[in-house]
Amino acid sequence: MGLVEIATGKVLSSFSVFLFLTVLLLVVARRISTSVLLFSVQSAIIAAGVFATGFQERLAEAYVVGALVLLIKVIVIPRAFFSLVERLKTSRDVKAWTTPTQSVFIAAAMIYLSYAAVHSYGQAVNVPEDSLAAAVALILTGAFLMVSRKKALMQMLGLLVLENGIFLAALTTTFGMPLVIEIGIFFDILIGLLLMGIFTFRIRETFDHLDVSKLRRLRG
Amino acid sequence: MKMAINVLQALILILGAPLARGVIGKLKAWIQRRQGASIWRPYADLAKLFRKEDLVPPSASWVFRCAPIVLLGATIAVAAFVPVVQPSALLASWGDFFLLVYLLALGRFFLSLGALDGGSAFGGMGASREALVSTLAEAPFLLGLVAVSILAAHADIAGMVTWTLHQNFFNVSAVHILAFTSLAMVVLAETGRMPVDNPTTHLELTMIHEGMVLEYSGPSLALIEWASAIKLHALLALLIALFGPWGMASSGSVEAIGLALLLYCTKAAVLMLLLAVIESGVAKLRMYLVPDFLGVASAVSALAVIFTMLVKR
Amino acid sequence: MILLLPLLIALLGAFLLLGFQNPRVATRFALCVGGLEIASLAALVWRVHVDGALQVGRYLRADGLSSFFLVNIAFISGLVLVYASGYLPLAGKGRFSSPRWFYALVFLFLFTMVSVCLSANLGLLWIMMEGTTLASALLVGFYNTEGAVEAGWKYLMVCTVGIAFALFGTIVLYLAAVKAGMNPAAALDWVALMDAVPRMGFDPHLVKLAFVFVIVGYGTKIGFVPMHSWLPDAHAEAPTPISALLSAVLLNCAMYAVMRYDAIVSHATGPAFSHTLLLIFGGMSMVVAGLLILVQRNLKRLLAYSSVEHMGIIAIGLGLGGPLGLFGAMLHTFNHSVAKSLLFFSAGNVRHNFGTLRMESITGMSRSLPQTSAALVVGGLAIVGLPPFSLFISEFAILSEAFSQARYFVAALVLIVISVVFGGFAYHFLHMLSGEPHGAPENAKLIPSEYMVMGIAVLCLTFFGARIPHLFGVFVQEAMVVLR
Repeated sequence: MGLVEIATGKVLSSFSVFLFLTVLLLVVARRISTSVLLFSVQSAIIAAGVFATGFQERLAEAYVVGALVLLIKVIVIPRAFFSLVERLKTSRDVKAWTTPTQSVFIAAAMIYLSYAAVHSYGQAVNVPEDSLAAAVALILTGAFLMVSRKKALMQMLGLLVLENGIFLAALTTTFGMPLVIEIGIFFDILIGLLLMGIFTFRIRETFDHLDVSKLRRLRG
Repeated sequence: MKMAINVLQALILILGAPLARGVIGKLKAWIQRRQGASIWRPYADLAKLFRKEDLVPPSASWVFRCAPIVLLGATIAVAAFVPVVQPSALLASWGDFFLLVYLLALGRFFLSLGALDGGSAFGGMGASREALVSTLAEAPFLLGLVAVSILAAHADIAGMVTWTLHQNFFNVSAVHILAFTSLAMVVLAETGRMPVDNPTTHLELTMIHEGMVLEYSGPSLALIEWASAIKLHALLALLIALFGPWGMASSGSVEAIGLALLLYCTKAAVLMLLLAVIESGVAKLRMYLVPDFLGVASAVSALAVIFTMLVKR
Repeated sequence: MILLLPLLIALLGAFLLLGFQNPRVATRFALCVGGLEIASLAALVWRVHVDGALQVGRYLRADGLSSFFLVNIAFISGLVLVYASGYLPLAGKGRFSSPRWFYALVFLFLFTMVSVCLSANLGLLWIMMEGTTLASALLVGFYNTEGAVEAGWKYLMVCTVGIAFALFGTIVLYLAAVKAGMNPAAALDWVALMDAVPRMGFDPHLVKLAFVFVIVGYGTKIGFVPMHSWLPDAHAEAPTPISALLSAVLLNCAMYAVMRYDAIVSHATGPAFSHTLLLIFGGMSMVVAGLLILVQRNLKRLLAYSSVEHMGIIAIGLGLGGPLGLFGAMLHTFNHSVAKSLLFFSAGNVRHNFGTLRMESITGMSRSLPQTSAALVVGGLAIVGLPPFSLFISEFAILSEAFSQARYFVAALVLIVISVVFGGFAYHFLHMLSGEPHGAPENAKLIPSEYMVMGIAVLCLTFFGARIPHLFGVFVQEAMVVLR
């Protein structure tokens, strides 16, 4: 077997493990820049998975999608985040409702939950359990990040992790959707992030802070 | 023949410990763009200490005097547990990993008692902090080893190493990654390295391990320093043996042993480089954040144990 | 070609509008583009009515259902554009306060909504639905006040998360289709799915899982409880024309998406599962919204919760199924949008005259603003479902279906909530209308843009309440046929 075949085989069988590690580290990260770095590592791992899938299934479209993931999620979006953090001149601390210990236990529970969920549906689809469980764990982690972090930027990051999870789920079950749809989804995400960036600036200007837990004027 | 090699392994760990410490110091110096001391410096330090006079505080009892000896004895016993060049060791079939963990605890217990016995305030402070750190580190230590032993279906270190030797390197197992992460964090805590404790600090209020040995001098201090160096070396060797033992000699021939030794030195160098990078790059955690750090290690190791159920690999 | 025209006009109009610096010229240009857009939509609808479904390429398609909702979009956006032309000069705060940005964003918003109705591919539907959120987020936060920024952020976040779940549902449906043997390139095409679903064996678990995620996801955009948290904020803090567009058009587009998925799932596993879910969400929305209406203090928030309640009624109509239930639900989407637009336009006028929307500080409207009060009264009577207005007809149809299916619990629930809402509206409106007038100019008249659109809305409500025009009825029938 050629070296590339071995490499793709190993990537496919082990990348979910590294994704779980990024999940655990994401929930304990204490600085925004660390979280963004972990997100880009996560996206790089997923891009590697896309390329490996493309090679194994002989799908030319997968290479395009993988390149898009690499370009947008590993390079462009983290760069935009870093520059946003600088321009907003906000403190670099991730204000969280939970302590790191509690967060990591919750993350461990979520990983267990995702395995349990995938196990019960696993008979319907014959896909590697690990990758699908990693996808569900990413979705749960994204939701957890959005709920447990008080900073607007971290909510955006949680959304991105959630979308990573959905993308991974699509990748493992159906080897991706038609190319046009994938491109459209990427485009949507980019514009969405742009708008959220605009809104964070507005929040900062109107409220003078970025703590979304204090946005509670409208109630009832 | 096997027995001779086992003795050789133990000697490598015990006698090579100051060298390991010296190499780490040199690597840290290079990363921080300094020259750093020579890698043989710890040997010179030990020799110097053995020549000096042993001063004992007037209020100290026999505990103070025999604590270094117990510490060194326990740590040497731990060093006899760990395989280096072949998948067996001197005491490997005498006990399982629980014995290893609690031998370390025995040494640490006596050191804390000795520090309290010395009667100085910093000794007491260091001892109480050490008690906190070691209590919290015990759970992830045990759980990480439990996870690996469940997979290996062996409780003794030699059995675990043999099992890992038969695994394919590329079938990376989630359990192993998680167990390695948590055990690495525990090693940092147990050996008093950053970010839990700064081994080169001179500010007494920030000391944990160094605070406990403030009152010691002369040969007693030499024994304690040597023991902590052996602990570091043995734990590094344990990590290598449990998670990356490939290349260990299966036969007793000189070439196999030589090759295994070379491979061990390479792996140890990699781990030491990693340690040096972490030590230079991370700031020391404030004391109230150390439980968080160890809590993360506990959760990761608990997850590793849970994963042994989910992942049949 | 005629299919592409509405899309092109809206998109080009949006971009061209940015070039007009002068507010008045921009407004007039916007009105022209709006007129062209409505004309092209009308032409498209007529062509579909005459010729049957149209398809362009692989992704765009117009059938009976799309054209019905396009009628809705065209009518309401026409009213909104005219109203906005008079409203904007009086408002004028905020970063994008220049009309060209406002109208450009409105046309972009219209573009995405028309695309939703014209999508043949479920993936494109998703992309455009997310596009509606993005296009309207800046419009919701238009005023840059604290409330507007908070509402805009919440809207963006909650809807994006919800739509992400809808994406997951789409993926699961795609997976089910590919597993059942469909060609992957066609596995997201609605017509192909409707055709293949009864024939090939789709895994029922996967299809049901897909529908659950889709109804939660697109239900967030519809405003089903418990995903409705963004709705009162967004509809209350947005400028009035935008509130009308959101309540009257966007919610309907999201309901359109759910209708499409409901059709697929019903064909696959029988209607029981999807319809039960629709009934549950509809019932919850009705009850929670009905109760919250009683304790509202802000007029536009009151109207927003009323939208949630009416979406619940539509969902119940869909969930009941049957010819009358479906007819009632479809009709209700249109009737509700007309009545809600009327109410929002009146609320805008109230805001201008009183400077606030807090209902407790508004009294004596019947004397100080007689025309606005008349509009408010008509709108209020219509929205609670009283005859002779059109909502009575659609709600009656839904209730008849409930009774004929012997679902007395559902019927009782609907009746009770409607009565509660009637009480709530009566209480709030009576408080505003009666009493001593204070804080408003005497006998303020409505400006032409306002009374034109309000008049059209009132006429529409009364006329449709008397009898539904034959052509309109035919449109509804064609829409229903598509879903069979």
